[in-house]
Amino acid sequence: MPSSSQHLIQSTVDHAVRVLLCALLCGAAGSASGANLVVNVLERDGKPLAGAVITAEPESAPSSAAPPVKAIMDQVNLAFLPDVLVIPVHSTVQFPNSDAVGHQVYSFSRARQFQLPLYRGKPYPPVQFDQPGVITLGCNIHDNMIGYIIVTAAPWFGRSDARGTWEAHELPAGKFRVRVWHPLLNEPQQLERSVHLDSDGTIEFRLAKPLRPAPLSGRPRSWDY
Amino acid sequence: MGLLTRLVVGVTGALACAAGAHAADWDLALDVRAIDSDGRTSFLDNGLGKFRFDEDHEGIRLGRLRAAWTQPLGEVFAAHVDASTWDGDDKNPIDLTEAYLEYKPYPRAGWRSRVRLGAFYPPWSLESRAIGWETPYTITPSAIGSWIGEEIRTIGLEGQFDWLGTRRGQSFDFQFTAAVFGWNDPAGTMLADHGFALHDRQTTLFGRAGSVQTDPTKPKKELFHEIDDRPGYYVGVQARYLDRAVLNVLHYDNRGDPQAQSPELRDMAWKTRFDAVALRIETGREWTLLLQAIQGDTAIDPFQLLLWDFDSQSAMVAKRWGRHLLAVRYDAFEIEFNEHPRWAGSEDGHAWTAAWSFERDDHWRFALEWLRVESNVPARAADFGEPPFATETKIEVSARYTLHGNF
Repeated sequence: MPSSSQHLIQSTVDHAVRVLLCALLCGAAGSASGANLVVNVLERDGKPLAGAVITAEPESAPSSAAPPVKAIMDQVNLAFLPDVLVIPVHSTVQFPNSDAVGHQVYSFSRARQFQLPLYRGKPYPPVQFDQPGVITLGCNIHDNMIGYIIVTAAPWFGRSDARGTWEAHELPAGKFRVRVWHPLLNEPQQLERSVHLDSDGTIEFRLAKPLRPAPLSGRPRSWDY
Repeated sequence: MGLLTRLVVGVTGALACAAGAHAADWDLALDVRAIDSDGRTSFLDNGLGKFRFDEDHEGIRLGRLRAAWTQPLGEVFAAHVDASTWDGDDKNPIDLTEAYLEYKPYPRAGWRSRVRLGAFYPPWSLESRAIGWETPYTITPSAIGSWIGEEIRTIGLEGQFDWLGTRRGQSFDFQFTAAVFGWNDPAGTMLADHGFALHDRQTTLFGRAGSVQTDPTKPKKELFHEIDDRPGYYVGVQARYLDRAVLNVLHYDNRGDPQAQSPELRDMAWKTRFDAVALRIETGREWTLLLQAIQGDTAIDPFQLLLWDFDSQSAMVAKRWGRHLLAVRYDAFEIEFNEHPRWAGSEDGHAWTAAWSFERDDHWRFALEWLRVESNVPARAADFGEPPFATETKIEVSARYTLHGNF
């Protein structure tokens, strides 16, 4: 779990450096200084939605994805940790099993299908993710385990904080497509919107439907063996 | 019997051969009870009392000693054996409750299949969700769960198909089950013999159940035998809403030939059929609602058709606070014998159960249970000259220590 956080922090730092470099280069070229984008996500009843995955992609010009990272999706107490992992395309993910019992991880999602035969510890090399999309993870032994990897080609991405807010800084002026995803979304359509940024901009997404109930946790190990 | 023995030997042999290829998981658990009971003479001890521990079996008692072993065999096969002892009265000092080989390939495009071969419980109960087919909510399972543990076991082949909708962003999963089995022809004997009971003693595959017969040369009944050479079947459907609600429906028919007899077992092939439905709803605040109902009949035809209709319903509410769990359950049960309403076999009754349990860690679990059964059993008057109506109350404390490991 600490190593997972380290990788996430590393990826965030890499990304920040890259965004900063881009901003500096853009500045050196004499362009207008970058814009800040603030995205707020609210549930139907107006409460902030934390943990939503938000991506921002320029619509007008072709963009390059953020550089790939090495991430970790651990398995602790019969649950994937973190439950949601956001990574740029071509990133790799290691799937250690920190539980005493064996797990058998699979995905049959279109963006990446793979299986890790029954294991404990860290016997397998990392899995690479080359296609953007939502990958749903399961364990073939413990059906209550469910986790998600969001692979994105967007240069800017992140997750909303406890206030339901995510901010991207120093974006070049132009038109962006902003998408929102959350594992408990119950919306009839994908949440996405176009925004034209000349200067700083704020957009708000408000869910049309209540979220699905969150997975139950903290069950004794002897249940649903 | 021969085939069943060969099956068990086969499973054990496969386990032995595969040991070392993949790490096996094992469990070892000892459950000790302290009993305060005013129960009538137990159904295990020539009586028509509804408890395993009657007024003559108070004090410190063995609840269960259990050893289990799960051995992966290659990537998608596994073998599981579960052995237990409940008391010193059985045929073997320790014996199997389940032993099976499982084939569980990876899901493809949302579908997953599973095949089990061996001896196991039909996948219906939403109560017996803990290891060793125990209920985590109470010490004593419902009347329905007690009966299934006592008389029902699939000894055969079961296939399942799962639709894993939740892995495709949907809210529902579905499971379809079908099985063909044998070696369960005496199922129904216990219902006719002593009716429903409330107890956690599961009958072992080679063990014995029920009361010692009045004829001292007759042993207790053995329930897992093939008598009529006719396979039985069951089909079931499960629907799950996320991990919050589960609905199970099962139709079971052992297709017994009610005229087939086994002089060696002093028993017949009982034709036993039932439909069972169970619904469990769990909330984010850790409330659980569990509803179960069963309806069926069992029959033999030694000289004329003797038919027992049975039904039982159960409703339980439980609330969990961290490691603590409080549960209250109501059970109702009824058996109607077609021949004569005052004859042995008919009964009706109901029970209240309240239990608190505390899972201290992965090893220790403590539980306290109060259970009261009120039942009207005409056979008490006919066979023993006792009043047919009885109220039995039991307070039970359980301390269970479990060791887990892998090698």
